[in-house]
Amino acid sequence: MSISTQGGPERRPSVVKPAAGAKPNSPGDGKPARPSGGKGKGPRKPVTPVKVAQQRSWGPILLFVAVGVLAVGIIGYGAFAVIKGSESWEDRAAGIDGIVNYRETDPGMLTANHKSGPQTYKTTPPVGGDHNTAWQNCMGDVYDAPIANEHAVHSMEHGAVWVTYKTGLPQDQIDKLAEKVRGNEFTLMSPVDGLSNNISLQAWGYQLKLDSADDDRIDTFIRALRINATQEPNAGCSSGVTATGTTPRDIGGMQQGS
Amino acid sequence: MSSATTSSEPSTDGSEEPSPARRLGTLWLALAIVAGLALGYTAGLLTPSVTAPGDDSVEAGFVRDMSTHHAQAVEMAMIMHTKAQDEQVASLAADIAITQQGQIGTMSAWLRDWNLNPTGEQPRMAWMPNSQGSLTNGLMPGMATPEQLTALRAATGVEAEKMFLDLMLTHHLGGIHMAEEVVDLSDNKDIDWLAGTMVASQQREIQAIQVIKTELPAN
Repeated sequence: MSISTQGGPERRPSVVKPAAGAKPNSPGDGKPARPSGGKGKGPRKPVTPVKVAQQRSWGPILLFVAVGVLAVGIIGYGAFAVIKGSESWEDRAAGIDGIVNYRETDPGMLTANHKSGPQTYKTTPPVGGDHNTAWQNCMGDVYDAPIANEHAVHSMEHGAVWVTYKTGLPQDQIDKLAEKVRGNEFTLMSPVDGLSNNISLQAWGYQLKLDSADDDRIDTFIRALRINATQEPNAGCSSGVTATGTTPRDIGGMQQGS
Repeated sequence: MSSATTSSEPSTDGSEEPSPARRLGTLWLALAIVAGLALGYTAGLLTPSVTAPGDDSVEAGFVRDMSTHHAQAVEMAMIMHTKAQDEQVASLAADIAITQQGQIGTMSAWLRDWNLNPTGEQPRMAWMPNSQGSLTNGLMPGMATPEQLTALRAATGVEAEKMFLDLMLTHHLGGIHMAEEVVDLSDNKDIDWLAGTMVASQQREIQAIQVIKTELPAN
């Protein structure tokens, strides 16, 4: 109630006083008050008390602005952190220069039936499709001879990244690749005869062909897709075929050493 | 309203300041409450992502490395389970495989909750101070070499069982070392709980392994 009481009496005396008092604090607000008062028009006078009120609220305004800036800062940081932190592995994979995503371009070839005997695949090396019941052991195994596609595809179904290199690649390049694989479950590595590039990385539905083991996209590919690309979360990599040779083995012919 | 106007007239200067402030005070109070709610809501939303272990944290490093360490124990146990003749060895192998695979599931779920990838940017064991020397050929403490695994696959009978028990004993000692370290380094309740149970149960398994070894026939 006292709020309205001030408005009335203030009209005449306070038009000048607050406007003058406002100057040091807010020249911008004070200026319009004077011309309006100078014109001597009655109807405009009610406007000035509102300005009076604004002058007195600078403290709270500053406080509110400070709180607001803090809130916006926190919200902004939070949004940034959430967006950055929640970047999906698919987005990370999509950001790799040269990667081919067959899940998008050719999902039809990524069937996952268990079949015995040799299978035909659209890509070399394959990135998915029907495969053998047995998977290739992918406990960071480094195979020194070609392995069966039918087993490697099953490993990728379990979430493994399959590192392949052209047979005959210089040993120092092979060693660099092996260092990224050995001992790391959900990875395996083997040579492939007549590979189009020196190196080809595969995960279920994804492929990246490279020319050098020094390419840092290798680490990026493994980080983005290892385990994440799985079709069977928490499926394992042990208890698979550890033998080399490109002819698929049916269950019972597993664990032949080498 | 108008009557109130006249009553307060005399004190124009004195009461001028408090009363508009009071009117605005209500407005500010409302705005402050809204702002406070917004802040609290935001803080609540952000707290989990801010307090969750980061990509380079001790917790993330331990979870990733222990998952790999466990995965090899599962592998050796599965190799043994398929060919153990001694019932105690077969049972121990099944226990190790199932327990450790389950723990891998728990740990990988944590990584998902923390919005972290299964594979980190840090090298193995980087979360553990002064641990770089503990890596042998990229393998963490206690882990079997590819040659030892090949030998285990090739071995049969009591020889295979003894080989498995020896490899698993070494494996557990390495794992216990890592788990004890993370209990020291981390204040994360979940990590401390799981690592604590790893230390206790693997120590009990080591005792069991030592007993079983004495009971196996000499070859």
